[in-house]
Amino acid sequence: MPRPVVMPKLGQSEEEGTLVRWLKKEGDGVAKGDVLFEIETDKALLEVESFFEGILLKIVVPEGQTVPVQTTVAFIGDPGEAVPEITVPAAKPGKGEGPRASAKVSEHPPVAAAGGEAQARAGRRIARERVPRPQERPSPPPAHPEAPSIFKISPRAARLAEECAVDPKVIVGTGPGGRIVEKDVSSYLDTKGYAHLRVTPTAKNLARKEGIDLFNLQPSDDGGRIGVADIETALAERPKPMGRMRRVIAQRLAESFRSAPHFFVTVSADLTELDSFRKELKSKGVSYTVTDFILKAVAATLEGFPAVNSTTDGEKIWWHSRIDLGLAVALEQGLVVPVLRNANKLTLADIHEQATELTARARAGKLTPGEMTGSTFTISNMGMLDVENFTAIINPGESAILAVSSLAKHPVVRDDRVVIRSLMKMTLSSDHRIIDGALAARFLNAIRNKLEEISLWRRLV
Amino acid sequence: MEAFGVVVIGAGPGGYPAAIRAAQLGASVALVEKEDLGGTCLNWGCIPTKCLISSSDLYARVKSAGTMGLKVEGASFDYAAMSDRKDQVVRTLRNGVKQLLKANVVKVFQGTASFQGRNRILVSPEAASAASSSEPVVIGADKTIIATGTSSAMPAFLPRHARVLESRAFLSLKSLPSSVLVLGGGVIGCEFACMLGQLGARVTVVELLEDILWGLDADVRRELRRHMEKTLGVRILTGGTLEDVSADERRVRGRVGTEWVEADVLLAAFGRKSTAEQLQLENAGLGVDERGFIAVDEYGRTQVATIYAVGDVTGGPFLAHAATSQGLVAAENACRRHLRRNETCVASCIFTSPEIGTVGLSEQEAQHQGRKIKTGKFMLGALGKALAIGEPMGFVKWVADAETDQLLGAHAIGPHATGLIAEAAVAIRAELTAAELARTVHAHPTLAEAWMEAAHALRDEPIHTIPERTRAKAGDQ
Ligand SMILES: Cc1cc2nc3c(=O)[nH]c(=O)nc-3n(C[C@H](O)[C@H](O)[C@H](O)COP(=O)(O)OP(=O)(O)OC[C@H]3O[C@@H](n4cnc5c(N)ncnc54)[C@H](O)[C@@H]3O)c2cc1C
Repeated sequence: MPRPVVMPKLGQSEEEGTLVRWLKKEGDGVAKGDVLFEIETDKALLEVESFFEGILLKIVVPEGQTVPVQTTVAFIGDPGEAVPEITVPAAKPGKGEGPRASAKVSEHPPVAAAGGEAQARAGRRIARERVPRPQERPSPPPAHPEAPSIFKISPRAARLAEECAVDPKVIVGTGPGGRIVEKDVSSYLDTKGYAHLRVTPTAKNLARKEGIDLFNLQPSDDGGRIGVADIETALAERPKPMGRMRRVIAQRLAESFRSAPHFFVTVSADLTELDSFRKELKSKGVSYTVTDFILKAVAATLEGFPAVNSTTDGEKIWWHSRIDLGLAVALEQGLVVPVLRNANKLTLADIHEQATELTARARAGKLTPGEMTGSTFTISNMGMLDVENFTAIINPGESAILAVSSLAKHPVVRDDRVVIRSLMKMTLSSDHRIIDGALAARFLNAIRNKLEEISLWRRLV
Repeated sequence: MEAFGVVVIGAGPGGYPAAIRAAQLGASVALVEKEDLGGTCLNWGCIPTKCLISSSDLYARVKSAGTMGLKVEGASFDYAAMSDRKDQVVRTLRNGVKQLLKANVVKVFQGTASFQGRNRILVSPEAASAASSSEPVVIGADKTIIATGTSSAMPAFLPRHARVLESRAFLSLKSLPSSVLVLGGGVIGCEFACMLGQLGARVTVVELLEDILWGLDADVRRELRRHMEKTLGVRILTGGTLEDVSADERRVRGRVGTEWVEADVLLAAFGRKSTAEQLQLENAGLGVDERGFIAVDEYGRTQVATIYAVGDVTGGPFLAHAATSQGLVAAENACRRHLRRNETCVASCIFTSPEIGTVGLSEQEAQHQGRKIKTGKFMLGALGKALAIGEPMGFVKWVADAETDQLLGAHAIGPHATGLIAEAAVAIRAELTAAELARTVHAHPTLAEAWMEAAHALRDEPIHTIPERTRAKAGDQ
């Protein structure tokens, strides 16, 4: 009997997954542990490995389709085995969904979940009270006015519009009940001057195939002719649906920036000594990154600032009992935030080990959703990207985020003399509903003081 | 200092038309040329080679005239006279260019140009042509168009000897060598090889790459190679280098792999080099790319806003008509506000026997770009006209996009293929579809009908070929 391969359930909140790419073809041999396909969930791009050995007999769910978890996506078996006929439940294409899909996503608000009791409650609460949000109204404007639901057109009229590569939805119908008849199309073509439009035969073929309205194009050719290049430009300019991951990021960050009044405080930390200490350690074969020190300093500082390690819905405040640090990692498709649990309890060596491991798996797309939820405070380090300073947007479910910029040499005045020091700017974004300026300043200075206190680090390593 | 709106450097097919167009657009124009008007193309390239090839071709046809029912006995040729005729044609054309420049009020400076600054150009008369006895002059230039082309270069590994020639020196020969070793199976090498083969010389072509005319459609290459080897008796050695070359009073010889080859004369038909280094570009703030050519954008502009470059000196495609088209674009862009792009659809013609014409993508290139394509081929032997003129050889082939039906490339080999390709170039530039081409009425009996037939074949609706399926059955009977 061929064995069904199913869309895995990867996290508590995952109801469906998008099959992004098949890495095996029908007929390919499959060994246990071979990567069969890639999926994209709310939170990550993941590779799915085979539990079985055999031949990939049939692919049921093609690339780009989103299906509920546990749906059969393929069959593996012996060569020549018959495969049962099945239909894909509630299959919908991953692409071209537009507004419908974004509404779908917001039914499962991707709020950071399960980061201690309070956090979990907060998550639920926020989820419940979220109902009428501006962005849940049907949003992104369609490329052209959407057809009224009673769009009616005669077959001959439709054929003429199709042949001429014009969009019939903008034509006013004069037939019964506003039905567009052939005459409407031809008089529309006349008034708009279709006869004067100069289009190369290939461009016209391509426009028809791709459903591009020739009236919307500007010729780039010297002779005023619409050519293949113009159609290709129009295709490139067509709105493309965001990837699921991008959509989730967009929605969460927009939501956070809208509901939490952000304000920003910046300090410069003098890392001259810490950096040479780091290099000294490295020469002895013990390597730490600047990020490791920052994670440690932040975790230790948060213990004395519960308000910074909290969240609010505007009415209540939840203080988190744990310190779970999110570490933003840039990927090609977006950003993921793996979490270091109980970071305040970890030694510097633990932090180094876990951060290295999580970052590597994040880059390889191998984090599980559980590893990316429930942080209570986040650090975003753009140090390796050569930036002077930047501000970050608070992760939903938290009240502040620390933006860390590049370490660079600067002239600094010390004892009335100019000296060269290695400085690093850090900017804290805070939710003003919970955190006031003075608190933010004290918190940030406390982190800075730790980073600058070299005797502390000599004790900690 | 005399100053001009536009100064054009080099009077080849890129430069002189640019000068004329700029003058027509109202600019005051100077044209600087260090040798002869018409450049490589007119004096040592396209024109003289085509003169010799026309003579050799006619000779070959006369010799085979018996097949057409003609009796020609004792046909022979006088190579010196062929060469003189060639020189006469070149003189006529060169004079024509001179008249055109005069009529368009282009001031011609004889001498070598180099930049003194971005808008100052030094013209030094050639030492050799001291007859002109003129002094170096500096002229001012608002805009400059560089069209200095390439020059023939003798590869360093070849001995300097009277029996070792590059194409320009070869064209000055007044007698035909009885055997020739052609080094390089590119366009120039193959054209010379065919010409020499038709005249009865023993020819050996040595090409480093896997095949002659590498980069051309594979079907076309196969057809040409077969003809050169079978009909013209040309030996073609590919995939190896010529080593240990030596020359003495009697012959020139060299080794390809383990085999020694020898001949009266060696023709080095490769290794043209850029002329940019003479221009002292650094004085104008310009540089050259790693091959020594001047980089330009799609409007023919160099990195310096007032300086344009066209033709061979920009690094390809090394075709006279491409140089001309770019020259006109640069002149227009230099004189007008509205910018025009360089044309991208450029046919290339090879005057071998049989002739070759190609334009657009080859099957291999289209596949390489990841396009889904379909092809349609038509053998000229099935055309009434090809049989009537006694040349039923070769084929034409279309490459089209399988999804949009767009004509992407055309390849022709056979009689008059170099002229036939013009229709395909128009069709491809106009973004015509195979369906449009197939529906275009082609006059009968002509060789051009082949394009229509090949377009029918591409659409699986061939009229004058038996489709594969039926052919198999017909063979059974
Ligand atoms: C044997 C042979 C056969 C060929 N056959 C064909 C063919 O059949 N079809 C085809 O399309 N192409 C053919 N070509 C290629 C064609 O000749 C060139 O592509 C074409 O000539 C390029 O034109 P151009 O104006 O860029 O340069 P050129 O024609 O090389 O002209 C450049 C001119 O600039 C002058 N010049 C250079 N430096 C200076 C300076 N510093 N100051 C003043 N003047 C300077 C040169 O003297 C020359 O007159 C052939 C080439 C060769 C060698």
